[in-house]
Amino acid sequence: MEAVLLRARGVPDSRVIATYLAAGGYEGWKKALAMAPDAVTREVTDSELRGRGGAGFPTGRKWSFVPKDHPGPRYLICNADESEPGTFKDREIIEHDPHQVIEGIAIASYAVGAKTAYIYIRGEFVRWARILEEAIEEARRAGFLGKNVLGSGFDLDVWVHRGAGAYICGEETALLESLEGKRGFPRLKPPFPAVVGAFGKPTVVNNVETLACVPHIMTRGAHWFASIGRARNTGPKLFSVSGHVNRPGVYELPLGVTFREIIYEHCGGIRGGRKLKAFFPGGTSAPIMTAAEVDVQADFDACGQAGTMLGSGGVIVLDETVDMVEAAANVAHFYAHESCGQCTPCREGADWCKDVLDRMVEGHARAADPETLLRICRFSSSGMTICPLGDAYALPISSMVNKFREEFDRRIGTATPLPQKKLPVLPWAGPRPGFGV
Amino acid sequence: MPKLTIDGRTVEVAAGTNLIEAARAAGIEIPFFCYHPYLTVVGQCRICMVEIQGQPRLAVACATPAAEGMVVKSETSERAREAREAVMEFLLANHPLDCPVCDQAGECLLQDHSMEEQRATFTTHMTETRRTFPGYESRLIGPHVIQNQNRCIHCSRCIRFTQEISETSALTYKSRGNSTFIDTFDGKPFEDPMSGCAADVCPVGALTIRGFRFRKRAWKLRSTPSICPGCSIGCNIFIEHHERVVYRFSPRENPGVNATWLCDYGRFLAESLNEQAYLHPQRRVSGQLARATWGEVLSALSTELKAARSLRVVASANLSNEELYLARELFGRHLKGEIVVPVFPGEPRRMKNGKRECLTSTDAHPNSHGARRLGLATVDGEGLVRFLRGATGTTVILDPSAHPSLASEEALQALGRGPLVAFARAKHPVADLAGWLLPTPSLASNEGTFVSSTGSVQRFAPAFAPPGTVHRTATGAMSPTCPTIASPWGPPGEARPLWVVLSSLVREMGVATLDLSSPADVFALMARTEESFAGLDWEELGGQREQSSYRERQHVG
Repeated sequence: MEAVLLRARGVPDSRVIATYLAAGGYEGWKKALAMAPDAVTREVTDSELRGRGGAGFPTGRKWSFVPKDHPGPRYLICNADESEPGTFKDREIIEHDPHQVIEGIAIASYAVGAKTAYIYIRGEFVRWARILEEAIEEARRAGFLGKNVLGSGFDLDVWVHRGAGAYICGEETALLESLEGKRGFPRLKPPFPAVVGAFGKPTVVNNVETLACVPHIMTRGAHWFASIGRARNTGPKLFSVSGHVNRPGVYELPLGVTFREIIYEHCGGIRGGRKLKAFFPGGTSAPIMTAAEVDVQADFDACGQAGTMLGSGGVIVLDETVDMVEAAANVAHFYAHESCGQCTPCREGADWCKDVLDRMVEGHARAADPETLLRICRFSSSGMTICPLGDAYALPISSMVNKFREEFDRRIGTATPLPQKKLPVLPWAGPRPGFGV
Repeated sequence: MPKLTIDGRTVEVAAGTNLIEAARAAGIEIPFFCYHPYLTVVGQCRICMVEIQGQPRLAVACATPAAEGMVVKSETSERAREAREAVMEFLLANHPLDCPVCDQAGECLLQDHSMEEQRATFTTHMTETRRTFPGYESRLIGPHVIQNQNRCIHCSRCIRFTQEISETSALTYKSRGNSTFIDTFDGKPFEDPMSGCAADVCPVGALTIRGFRFRKRAWKLRSTPSICPGCSIGCNIFIEHHERVVYRFSPRENPGVNATWLCDYGRFLAESLNEQAYLHPQRRVSGQLARATWGEVLSALSTELKAARSLRVVASANLSNEELYLARELFGRHLKGEIVVPVFPGEPRRMKNGKRECLTSTDAHPNSHGARRLGLATVDGEGLVRFLRGATGTTVILDPSAHPSLASEEALQALGRGPLVAFARAKHPVADLAGWLLPTPSLASNEGTFVSSTGSVQRFAPAFAPPGTVHRTATGAMSPTCPTIASPWGPPGEARPLWVVLSSLVREMGVATLDLSSPADVFALMARTEESFAGLDWEELGGQREQSSYRERQHVG
C-alpha cells in the first residue's frame, strides 16, 4: 500500500512547510474553505473515517453532533496525549509531518465552526510540542491560520497545550478538565463534549491520526478513502508494533489486514525464531489475544467480534518466554498508578489487582486469587465507572486470567504461604511510676 | 411532571428530579455516599446503581433524571444488588473497621449501608494489606476539624462543599489513584467560616469536629428542632442533647434559610447553652443577695412593680416573640412603662440557602425582626445608655446579654442609681447591682418563635425542662437513662423561662386578658390581635418536640 499518513517519512526536511506544500499540502484546506462546512462534514462522513484514538467512533457523526445554532465559541481539540502503553503512532506523524495534522485541525475546525483549536499534547512530548509550535508559526506566516484565512473570512487560532503527565488526560473529558486548568478527572456523561465541552462550550475532540486523515479525504475524495480497507473499516491505519518481534516500529497498513501479516510479514516474525504466545491488539487496554487468534483481521469490527478491540493499534507481541502472571502484574501496575482516584471500583480495584498479582509473582499465590481477580475485574468494567479506565484495566487482566488460566493455577500449586510479619513485642518494663501498684 | 415506576411503585415527580429523590418520594431508599442534595452531582461512589429497563448497563441513580415511563429496578434487581455489594466490598477493602473507636459510628453512612445492603452471608475477598496514610490518622487540619484519612471513602463531598458553598476551595485532592487523599489547599490551615459543615457532610469518620469528638455517642443524643441564636439569619438547627446536657448543634434542613448548613460561630454556641450561673431567685437584703422562693418573688415583685414611680424595661432581641409580646403588654400597656430593645450589629454573618443565594445577617440577635414587628423601639448602645440614664424609678432588665453596652461603666453607673430587677443566666455585672436577680434557663429549655431576617416566623421547641423541674417522659416516669452519670433533674436550680415568669406575674396582678398558660396560647392571641402575625398557626410553624434527627439528617449529612 502506498504511504499516505507516513508519506513524509524519509523525505529530507519533511517538517518544513515548503516540503509539505511541494507534496500538495494545504490543498485540502483550500478546497474545504471553498465548500460549505456541512459539505465538509458530509465528505468525512462518506469516507467512513472512524476515530483512531481507540473507540473507533465515526468522525463525521461526531462532528455533526455539535449544535448548529449554538451562540458563542466552539472548540476543536486535537488529542495528542498518546499515553496508551505500546502506542507511538501520533508521535511518528508529528515527527515527520506536523503540517498534515495542522491541516487536518484547520479543516475540522472549519467543519464544526470552531475559531480556536487546541492541541493537547502529552507533557513528556517536549520535542514534539516544539515541532508543532514551529509548524503552527510557519502555517500562520503562510496565511493558513490566523485572521481571515486565505481571504475566506474564517479566523482560526491553534494553540499547543502541554499536559502534566497523566494517562487519564487522554480520556476526552479528563482532557477537557486538564485543559481548563483543573485536576484531570473524567466528567460524567451526558452531557457529551459535543454539547458541553471545553469551558462549557461545544467541543470536538479528535485524535492526531484521525485529523491527519482528513486532508487526504479532502484532496482525494471520500471514495478513494473508502476504497482502502474493508467495508465500515476504511482507510489506512498506523500500527505501532512493539515487543518480541524482529522489526518493531510504526507500520501504515490498510484496516482489515490480519495480525499474522503484521507480525510475520511486516515485522519479520518473532525475535529469535521463537513462538508467538499472545499479543495485545490495541495497547494494554485491549483484551489480550492468543497465538490461535492471529488470523483475526486488524480492524474495529473484526476485533470487536473476537472479543477484544483494535484500540489505538498498538500491537504488543509476547513470545513464549513471557510469564502471563508477570505480564498481568505489569499491566496492573500501570493502571493502579494511572487510575485518577475518582470513582470507587477503579480506584480500589486497580490497586487491589496489583496487590494480588504482585503477591502471585512473589510466589505466595492463594487458591482463591484467580477468582478474586475475575470478580474485581467484573465489577470494575461495563459501566461501573465514570470513564473507560475501569474497563481498560479490567478487560485485559480478566482476559489474561481466562485465556491463560493454567499459568495462574500453576502459581497456586507452587506457592508458599506469605511469611507472617513479626509484630514488635513490647518489652515488659515492670510497674510504671505513677500508675499505682 | 414525569411519571415513572421504581420497584413496582409508580410515582410522579417534578421534571429534572434524579432517581434517588424520585425513589425517596416513592418510599424506596437508594443508598448513596457522594450524592448530596445541595451539592453538584459527581456520581463517583457508584453505590447508587440501578437497573433501567431498556438500558444494557446499570446506571447511577444520582446522575439519571427521572423520565416519563421509565421503569427502574433498585432492590428488585439482582444485577444492581450485586453491583452495590461489589462497591461496598471495594469501599470496605481499604476502610479501617474501627467503628468501635470511631466517633462517627452511629451516624455513618458506610456503617449503615454495610449493615443494610450486604447479605449476611457476604464475606470480603480482600486479603491484602490495607492501604494506610501514616501521619494522617488524626490530623488537626483547622481549628475545628480533625482528619483521619484512613477512613476516607473519597466521596469528595467536603471538597465540593468548600468549592460551592463556603467558596473557599480550602480542601482539595492530592496525589492520584489509590493514594488520593484529602488535604487543605496549599497545606494552609482549614480556617473556613463553615468548616464544621465539611465534617457534617463527611459520610464517614474521616472528618470529625474536634469539640464534639469522644464526648457522646451519636445514638445517645436526642435532637430537638430549634433555631440558631447566633444572628438574625435564623438558621434551623437541631439541639442535640443527652440527659439535659447540650452537646452540639447540627443543621436542620430548610431550603429557604440554611439548606443544610450552619456556620462555625453558630455551631459552637451549643456549649454556651449549658452555662447556668444563677440557680435560684435572689433578693438583695441589706446589700447581700439572699435566696428566695418563686412564690415570694412573684407576690413581692408584683406589688413593687405596681407601686413603682416609673418603669423602664430593657427587653432583648434574643427573646422570643411571645416573651416580647407579654413584656410589651404587661410592662408597656398595663404598667405604663417604657420598653426598648437594644440591637447590637455584631459581626456580619453569611449563609447560603438551598438555591445558593447568599443571606446576610443584619445584627447579632435571633429575633430583632420580631421585636420590630411587635412595634418595640430599638436602640443602639449609646441610645441604651441614654435610656438608662433617664430612669427615675425602677429598671427591669429582661436579658443582660441583650447588648454589650449593658456591661459598660456608664450603663452600670446609671443602673446603680435606682431599684433594679434583672433576669439572668450567664455571669454578668448587673447581678451585683440587682435588687431582684431572677434566673432564666437557656434556649434549650425555652419554647417560642423567632422571626428570621428573611421574614419567616420559625418555632423552636424545648429540648428539656428547665433546671429543677421534674422531667417526665411520655410514659409518665422520670427519665434517668443512666442515673449514675447525670442527675435526672439535670443541672441544679430553679431557673424558669421568662414567659413563665411573665405570665405568673400577669396572674399575680390579675390581668385577665393575658392569663395564658403556654407560648402556644400567647401566639394564638398574637395571631388574633397583632397585624404582623395575623393568620399564622402555631402548629403549622413546625418544631415538633422530638424528631428522629439521625434519619432526618442522614439524607443530607
